[in-house]
Amino acid sequence: MVSFILVLCLILLLFETQSSLLDSKMIAFLGVLIAINAGLRFLENAIPGPAGFSPTFFLIILTGYFFGSRIGFLMGAMTMFVSGLITGGVGPWLPGQMITAGWLGQSSSLLKPVIQGLKWQQKSGEILILSVFSAIWGILYGIIMNLWFWPFFSAAPGQTWLQSAGLMENIGRYGAYYIATSLVWDITRSIGNILIIGFLSRPMLQIFERFEKRFSFIIVET
Amino acid sequence: MTVSATWLIWISTSLILLLSTRNPIYILITLTSLFLLGGKISLKEEQLNWTKQNLRFLITTIILSTLVNILFAHTGQTLLFILPENWPLIGGSITLESLVYGAVNGLVIGALYLVFNILNLVLSVKQITRLIPNAFRPISIMITISLTFFPSIQRRTREIREAQMIRGNKMKGVSDWLPIIIPLIVTSLENAFMLSESLTARGFYSKSSTNISNLNLIALVFAVFAVFAGWIIRLYDYPVVISVILYGLGIISILFIFIIAGKQVNVTHYHQEVWHPRDIIFVGVSLIIAGAMIGLIRTDCLSSFIYSPYPNFSFPEISVFGFILSAVPGIPLIFISHD
Repeated sequence: MVSFILVLCLILLLFETQSSLLDSKMIAFLGVLIAINAGLRFLENAIPGPAGFSPTFFLIILTGYFFGSRIGFLMGAMTMFVSGLITGGVGPWLPGQMITAGWLGQSSSLLKPVIQGLKWQQKSGEILILSVFSAIWGILYGIIMNLWFWPFFSAAPGQTWLQSAGLMENIGRYGAYYIATSLVWDITRSIGNILIIGFLSRPMLQIFERFEKRFSFIIVET
Repeated sequence: MTVSATWLIWISTSLILLLSTRNPIYILITLTSLFLLGGKISLKEEQLNWTKQNLRFLITTIILSTLVNILFAHTGQTLLFILPENWPLIGGSITLESLVYGAVNGLVIGALYLVFNILNLVLSVKQITRLIPNAFRPISIMITISLTFFPSIQRRTREIREAQMIRGNKMKGVSDWLPIIIPLIVTSLENAFMLSESLTARGFYSKSSTNISNLNLIALVFAVFAVFAGWIIRLYDYPVVISVILYGLGIISILFIFIIAGKQVNVTHYHQEVWHPRDIIFVGVSLIIAGAMIGLIRTDCLSSFIYSPYPNFSFPEISVFGFILSAVPGIPLIFISHD
């Protein structure tokens, strides 16, 4: 039932966010960007990086940061969907992945007012905030993705979900399970995110700025 | 069975079955029928080694799940052996019950994976994309664009990588990503620019009819909330009728909104799927079986579906009904042999 409601929420979010896709510019732009991101998932094997590290995250973060929350959500959710289709990885895990990656893109739009408030645009502070953000999400992604099957998973007593236990107690139990199973993997992912954001965010943002200017043709109805 | 909707109904029935039983004997029957079905389809799709690969995955899942469970869950009464208590996390008694429980978990996870694997095998990417309702037209266009662009982006990535390697890039660290990703993105966005211009030139510009789509959105929020409320009410021991009404109301209005929103866009259809009589028969049979299964589970007539090795190990019960129902995912075998 929970998975069903999760799917319904995803449908609702997609239905809302697609209103930002109604013109041909954004459709073409996002379509190509998603194809690049799905392609990057295969490039992972070409250049060695830390384990659990994936170059797809940084494009989602930068798109969300630059183009706002709706586009960020679509970028994250659809990257997961398209790469799932390409690899034949359509399965029960897909809605969870889509929502989590969508949140990643959506939440990165929150950084914009922060950076603007600090007047750190195009300074090293911008990259610093983006790297910290990506590092937090490297771990958060693992936490959220584990959560969807944790209540059904039978592990050590003291690590599983209890309906009778209170919120704080369950959080403690989940923490034990998470540290035991996935923390190391997620930390290496965070380090990978910091590295790639550090190296690539400045030129990427410049490319986005240039294309935003070029993409600004207006369609006039007569 | 070439119509994609029939496979959607097949997967729904199989999922209802797999998520409601924990009886290892039934799951083994289901797995056998899934392997028979997948083997037949993979022969047709000329994917050799399908059975071997999936069998290997299934065995790995069972071993992993069993290991995790016996090492971390120390409940149960039939003692196999004891690990020293001072070993962190895994120390304690290793029991037969937790071994069986872990193995059953592995069987269920393996079967779920297999069901989705068969769906990926039998439906092409085009068919899956077509299953997206008309109400999500902008998204489905975007997905089609990315799927079409994907091969050309892969080709370009390879070219850029080769060009960089000729120039002496060793491709070792994270900083070596830069000379690959930047040219890739710049050239691809150039394509996007041309694509959007040609989309506009061909008249693709859907003006948002804001009022209607906002109304749809609000209705959709209420419909999802109805389903959610039905579920919450169920958790607090209110009468089942209220939940059922809320679920029904929510799901029917969601379908209704999709139909209305889908009607607002004009879509052309190429290569329409043709429904053969056997597709209709399959859908009918599956719906009857799924309905019967839900009914039997709800009225506790299928007690043999429920099985737990805890607290003291016992062999699972078996019933004729359960036997027949657990072979249901294999039904397409009868139908695809005539395709």
